[in-house]
Amino acid sequence: KSPEFNASYSMGRLHIEHMGGERVFSCANCDCPLTNRQQLISTRFTGATGRAFLFNRVVNLDTSELQDRVMLTGRHMVRDVSCRKCKTKLGWVYEFATEESQQYKEGKIILERALINESEGFPDPVKD
Amino acid sequence: LLELMENGSGCLNGSGAADSAEKAQQQQQCPAVQLSERNREAVRVIGQYLRELGLARSAEALVLEAGCPLESGAAAQFRSSVLLGDWDGAEASLASLRRALWRESSWSEIAFRLAEQRYLELLESGAHIAALCVLRGKLTPLQLSPDRLHRLSGLIMCSGPEELRQLSGWSGAAGGTRQALLDSVEQFFPPSVMLPPKRLSVLLDQAVRAQVSRCRHHNTSLSPDQLTLLADHSCQAAASVPSVCSQVLDAHQDEVHVCQFSPNGRFLATGGRDCVAIVWLVEAAANPPGAPRVRHHLTLRIGEERGGVAWLAWSPDSRLLLACAAEEATEVIVWEAETGDCIKKLKHRDEDSLTTAAWLPDSNHFVVGGNRGHFYLCSVDVGFEKAWDFIRVVALATRREDDGGTAVLAADTFARIRRYRFDTMQDETLFREDGPVMSMSISQDETLLAVCVASAGVHLWDLRLRVCRRRLHGLTHGAYLLHASIGGPNQDFVASGSHDARVCVWHRGCQAGDGAQQHLLPDKLSGHGGLVSCVSWNPRHHGMLASASDDCTVRIWLPASLAAAAQAASADGTGPGGAGFSSNGCCSSTVSKHQPPPLL
Repeated sequence: KSPEFNASYSMGRLHIEHMGGERVFSCANCDCPLTNRQQLISTRFTGATGRAFLFNRVVNLDTSELQDRVMLTGRHMVRDVSCRKCKTKLGWVYEFATEESQQYKEGKIILERALINESEGFPDPVKD
Repeated sequence: LLELMENGSGCLNGSGAADSAEKAQQQQQCPAVQLSERNREAVRVIGQYLRELGLARSAEALVLEAGCPLESGAAAQFRSSVLLGDWDGAEASLASLRRALWRESSWSEIAFRLAEQRYLELLESGAHIAALCVLRGKLTPLQLSPDRLHRLSGLIMCSGPEELRQLSGWSGAAGGTRQALLDSVEQFFPPSVMLPPKRLSVLLDQAVRAQVSRCRHHNTSLSPDQLTLLADHSCQAAASVPSVCSQVLDAHQDEVHVCQFSPNGRFLATGGRDCVAIVWLVEAAANPPGAPRVRHHLTLRIGEERGGVAWLAWSPDSRLLLACAAEEATEVIVWEAETGDCIKKLKHRDEDSLTTAAWLPDSNHFVVGGNRGHFYLCSVDVGFEKAWDFIRVVALATRREDDGGTAVLAADTFARIRRYRFDTMQDETLFREDGPVMSMSISQDETLLAVCVASAGVHLWDLRLRVCRRRLHGLTHGAYLLHASIGGPNQDFVASGSHDARVCVWHRGCQAGDGAQQHLLPDKLSGHGGLVSCVSWNPRHHGMLASASDDCTVRIWLPASLAAAAQAASADGTGPGGAGFSSNGCCSSTVSKHQPPPLL
């Protein structure tokens, strides 16, 4: 007796991390936590849907295969990133920048502003 | 030293110069076997062993034939003088042994102990004047610790031998104290002069302990001195490690995410995406005894919109079962396991996410929490009681503490495992993991914590020493939550799920033969058709393991010997849905079977 392929993804099984922080960013579609304000590097990026943010570290993402893309700032090797829970495409991660001035972006993630929610978190009460 | 040895070659118990000539003659008559240094040491050690057993003649014969004395003549003389109570003779022998000491300074210590024994024996026999002479003439001039001297002189006031023995803690001349004195003196001399006490017993014990530490499936409560010397010790895998799937339970309609045996081993609870928690009964077959089987008992439903059962927790008295939901986890449900009655539906706030839980020892209070930052202490009687704010909880466990209170152990999203006391509102960080924590499981005796770390494996933390004891590798990593379980009579076995559809079983005590840090690879049990997310050991029937998988089944694994018995016993293949035994659940473990050598 094998189950039919189930396209919905249950939170009880996927390992969902949470970075905490006082302002939390999560997926606009399924509310899966992604990152926080402390990880935000720059707000001056543009994606397909408009404004996009550059983050240092983001969790709960799936990455696509490596893609060669020419952007306003030059030629980059990127991977598309999507929400691990609902599979919505959220942005991309820079893996390699051909121009030296753009190398600071390597390893960092772009999330499109329209596809993420910002919500209130809370500070970590543990002091040690 | 050679000189000391030659002084009394062949002299065993100080029989004196008169006999040594005769013995030397005898020696010349027996052709001496050429022995290497190691052989001579072995002979000495065996001779000591025989002598300790009381087989003095055999020991003597051994010494004669090997031409190799057990210890130097002066040492033998010292030994026999002490055992006979010939204190002056003992002193004389001691004087001649003085050169052989490791450290010159220990001579006064030995002389003190000798005189002390003499003094106590004299007191015991009532010869107070003589005792006083010893105190003044022998003990005081040594100028050792004044406390001991004071204590000894105080004993002269004792009214009788009974009181003397009681006050001093000394068991009397007949109480083996002379032998004890000899044992305590042996450490001051090099082994060539005097053998360390019970040397062969010590060596045998070390060997057996080394075998035990190499035993890959060590699962016995026998102590090392009860194990046989005739063959290298090795627990049979067939008896202790689960390797055969004895049952496939397929009552679930969707992926099974949790399985938990109750603390008394009588129930098994399973739950998953079909929003149903099933309670199974564990029955130990009467004939043959010890072959447990699992039978369906109850099906308990949670709401369909809840996304499935995320966690199941048994109360310590095995009476109540608590279920947490996966999504919209605002409510936890408590049932009575025997009847299926819903005892409590606990909901605090609409925005709560309570995906994990643990019970406190009173089987009334429990803690719940989730990664949205809700962490509550609740009870079956009252409901919500207390909240601990701003902690994003990933996994929970509880542990009794020395002062009688209960500590709640919580792993949080910052990879910390912290200890919380809801009664005193004290908290403390115990460990920091180096990767994100997926789940946590405490051993039944509350000494070990198994932490599943994403992409790393299972880490075993000792809760008393507060150190990481083992890092277990070999399971297949992936994006989904895995749970581990600690089991076995001595908390020796750890099992966990794996992304490659196999169950991993480690024996945590096994060490590499050469003592090097080796990665401990698990035995892997194949049979499931999908990711195995959760495992649980039965706390009563050791070796019985349950595993829950995405293939919608729960499998029961037994050690090969038990499973064979179980299969023979049951003819009618029962199991919900008529699945019965599954013969394709054979193990692919890398265990080699050790057979003890046959008796000749």
